[in-house]
Amino acid sequence: MTGSVTTARRAGATPSAGRRAGSYVERARSIPFLIPAVALVGIMLLVPFVATVYQSLTNDDGFNAEFIGFDNYVRLVQDPMFGRSVLNTVMWTVGTLILPVGIGLVIAVFTSQMKGGRWLRLAFLLPYALSGTATAVIWGFILRSNGALNQAFTFFGAIAPASGWLLEWPTNTIVMIVANTWQATGVAVILFLVGLQAIPTETVEAGTLDGASGMRLFWNIIVPQLKPVTVVVIGMSIANSLRVFDTIWLLTKGGPGGSSETLAVTMYRETFIISDYGYGAAVAVVLTIIVVGASWTYLRQQLKKG
Amino acid sequence: MRNTFLIVLGVLWLIPVYLLIVNAITPLSEYHGEPLWLPVGFDLWSNLVSAWNQSSLGLGMLNSFMYATASALVAVLAAGLAGFAVVAMPVRRPSLWFWLIYLGTLLPLQIFLAPLFQAYVNTSLYDTSLGMILIYGAICVPFAFFIVRNYLTTIPPEIAEAAKLDGAGWWRLFFQIHLPLIRSALFAAFIFQFTWVWNDLLFGITLTTSPDRRPVMAAMAEISGGFVSLGPPVVLAGALLVSLPTVILFLSCQRFFVSSLKASA
Repeated sequence: MTGSVTTARRAGATPSAGRRAGSYVERARSIPFLIPAVALVGIMLLVPFVATVYQSLTNDDGFNAEFIGFDNYVRLVQDPMFGRSVLNTVMWTVGTLILPVGIGLVIAVFTSQMKGGRWLRLAFLLPYALSGTATAVIWGFILRSNGALNQAFTFFGAIAPASGWLLEWPTNTIVMIVANTWQATGVAVILFLVGLQAIPTETVEAGTLDGASGMRLFWNIIVPQLKPVTVVVIGMSIANSLRVFDTIWLLTKGGPGGSSETLAVTMYRETFIISDYGYGAAVAVVLTIIVVGASWTYLRQQLKKG
Repeated sequence: MRNTFLIVLGVLWLIPVYLLIVNAITPLSEYHGEPLWLPVGFDLWSNLVSAWNQSSLGLGMLNSFMYATASALVAVLAAGLAGFAVVAMPVRRPSLWFWLIYLGTLLPLQIFLAPLFQAYVNTSLYDTSLGMILIYGAICVPFAFFIVRNYLTTIPPEIAEAAKLDGAGWWRLFFQIHLPLIRSALFAAFIFQFTWVWNDLLFGITLTTSPDRRPVMAAMAEISGGFVSLGPPVVLAGALLVSLPTVILFLSCQRFFVSSLKASA
């Protein structure tokens, strides 16, 4: 390491190797800078990625692997469990777009104008620092059949579902989306606050002078100004909602009977529990197409903005 | 009216945290199968000790501390070097390199899992510290690269040109001029990546198995499976314990996060 530093420095100091367009020597100098990052990403991520795509075209079961073309994908389309998994994944994405993004926006805008809003905001920021695992432990405590939520129902004289909240679809998926909202709203609040600080005070003042107030000020002046940061928050939410694993795995293991599985969980179960590597790989590829497609749409919008 | 709504929402948000604390401090002998809404005694310490000893949670915390520190450090350094090359050096097709590295963050983690597992078993990296640091480091590179690259583009190119005229080589330029300038971006990336590694469950349960290699969340997942047998106060004390490092880190760096996000936006 030290050796290469000194040689590179000496070579760089010679005037002939100055910054000349098309100089191969000069360009080759960037290679040692790029190698650590490119090697790590290439070997640990891109090679496995290609391997999974190939694996999805085989009937790999951990011992033998034969090329079977698109048979795994044909099986996917015919598998009712896969249909349920896609449906749950869509529910997660839509739920995550509405709840954490919407609540985050409201909290950021209103607490920024409120006295002591900083302290109130802490209630929403705190869960963001927790892991999916800890979130699942806390919400498992709340949602089980003799859990805190059923106690609260009984206390207020309502009829609590005797089996708890995690055993029936679609209730189990919905309550897990709520649990995730509890954890994920914090980051939306932070990002919207950053966006709010970029709005010139004159804009809001001018709106107020024109007689806008309350909801009209919020919808017609503040929300449009927050558009760039909203794109970021939505993009992040789409990607994160598609990847959720910990919360579901610990709360329901995707069950009962696969009813609360999303694609991320289906892939894990097919691969590591059933050892159907080929089929699991096909699920991973479908998930990747959805994630990359959604992120691409979002990034293109970002780049267009400049 | 609006403030009342906000306060009610805030209280709702705090209920799970409140229940976590109240039940985690409850002595096991006082817990009778139903969640408690009011504290009935204080025995947090022995619950924490039971959790620490359960499923080698303490060992898991030490492992994760090591994995998170080492891999975040590796990732931040690699990202800094690559960001410097793409922004400051004459590289052909810098955007190609950018996408090559950034691609890693667009792909869902599930796509890497099975081949990594098989390759790790074949190369005896399975269930080793080196294996965990390598994969966590690689996962962290793309996002760290993204932050650092954005930050580097704000540094005027004249600085590099002036130093080049003075005869400074690329390595000296990087270590003596750019590295000190991007310190805060590197620190932000380090904190983000440390938190990410600490909170990971997926790679932990896939690529390790023995208690003395397993990261903290994998150990915590096992404890949460024993919710009834261990007693909820112990499990919740465990959840509290594993969350403390990231909560403290997050709260102490909150302002810093916001300003670094602003810089990269």
